[in-house]
Amino acid sequence: MNERLKKCLKAAIPPVFWLGVWQLAAWCVRQELLLPGPAAVGRSLLALAGTTDFWLSVAATLGRVVLGLLWGAAAGTALAFLTHFSSWANAIVSPAVRVVRATPVVSFILLVYLWTPRAAIPWVIAGLMVLPVVWGSLTVGLAGLDGKLLELGRAYRFSQGKLLRLIYLPALRSHFSAGMLTAFGLAWKSGVAAEVICPPSQAIGSRIQQAKLGLETPELFAWTLTIVALSLTLEGLLRRRLEGVNRV
Amino acid sequence: MISLHYLTLRYGKRLVLDQFSLQLPEQGITALSGPSGCGKTTLLRVMAGLERPESGHISGVQPAQTAFLFQEDRLLPWRTVGQHITDILPRPRRGELPFWLNFAELSGEENSHPSALSGGMARRLALARCAALGGTLLLLDEPFAGVDSQRTARILNRLRQLNVPIILTSHQTAVLNACDTVIELDGPPLHRV
Repeated sequence: MNERLKKCLKAAIPPVFWLGVWQLAAWCVRQELLLPGPAAVGRSLLALAGTTDFWLSVAATLGRVVLGLLWGAAAGTALAFLTHFSSWANAIVSPAVRVVRATPVVSFILLVYLWTPRAAIPWVIAGLMVLPVVWGSLTVGLAGLDGKLLELGRAYRFSQGKLLRLIYLPALRSHFSAGMLTAFGLAWKSGVAAEVICPPSQAIGSRIQQAKLGLETPELFAWTLTIVALSLTLEGLLRRRLEGVNRV
Repeated sequence: MISLHYLTLRYGKRLVLDQFSLQLPEQGITALSGPSGCGKTTLLRVMAGLERPESGHISGVQPAQTAFLFQEDRLLPWRTVGQHITDILPRPRRGELPFWLNFAELSGEENSHPSALSGGMARRLALARCAALGGTLLLLDEPFAGVDSQRTARILNRLRQLNVPIILTSHQTAVLNACDTVIELDGPPLHRV
């Protein structure tokens, strides 16, 4: 067996195996309402993909998750630098960020619902989940910075900008990448959860909620598959992009 | 003359400089020699303004105009050989890159990263970066550690041609022999032999 065939089989066997398990379970249950088979879900997904509403919902959810990821990462980065350089800021901000990290996402969704418009809740929640992860990763990175390189920067009269560009940013790249990859999955999960609990007019979460209320289980599975596929694809793209940045 | 007056410095409870005074020539290459741990590096760091003595003062040295070569190479793993030099040079002097590569005998290595350099090459790069920084005084801590003797002689000659006073520390006899002045030290705490 040549290497290429081996590689193809290795890639194909796990999904085929799990699809088989799924189909077998569906046959055993024999109720589409409780567990639709892969074929029924596939048909539902194809039907959904033919509608404009599907693509609008995907685009809207994607937009909210990306927006949440961006503001969460920006705020987490800014706070990491602030708490690193100011002991006062550290004393004040660090406990708050830890509380945010420890608070269940559902509590946050319900609390934020009281204060913000419904359409803003998913990206606010996604950002709140991203912020502590990025902050935590960068805080560890900043604490582990090589003091000898920083001393070199000062001795060689680097400006603040040069110090940031030549020492801080390259040394923090791997920490930022790791934080972003973890945060990306959290942003998806929390963003969609917020859409389900507080459904905006156009969103994957709203469609999941509608499918659940209408007992459209194949459709519910189809939307879930869409989320998983989007999350894995975008995480892969982000990983490749960040690995490229880390190699520079 | 460069004068060090009654310098006292301790690391924790360890006294390294105890009312230490010394006069150093303001030109040529001066070597500070002595056993490991006697305080040579500390003395250079004080002159470079990287350590603040508890008491005493220095005249004839402006820390903001010195270039200091650390005992370790302190290269940036993510920058190339060429970038290490150009990062130091102000924009109008960027054209000097080939000169400094040639100075350290690193021509052809400008796109290499530190991980691809031998110990001696890394040391030469650190030395070239320090010399490129320029200033009115070069303070070099073990500049030729790991560098072969023939190259050491050639680079020492190039350093001399820069016409900048140099104070260095070294344990290498060939380096000490090539210097204009050699000052023997002992310690800690540091005192002149």
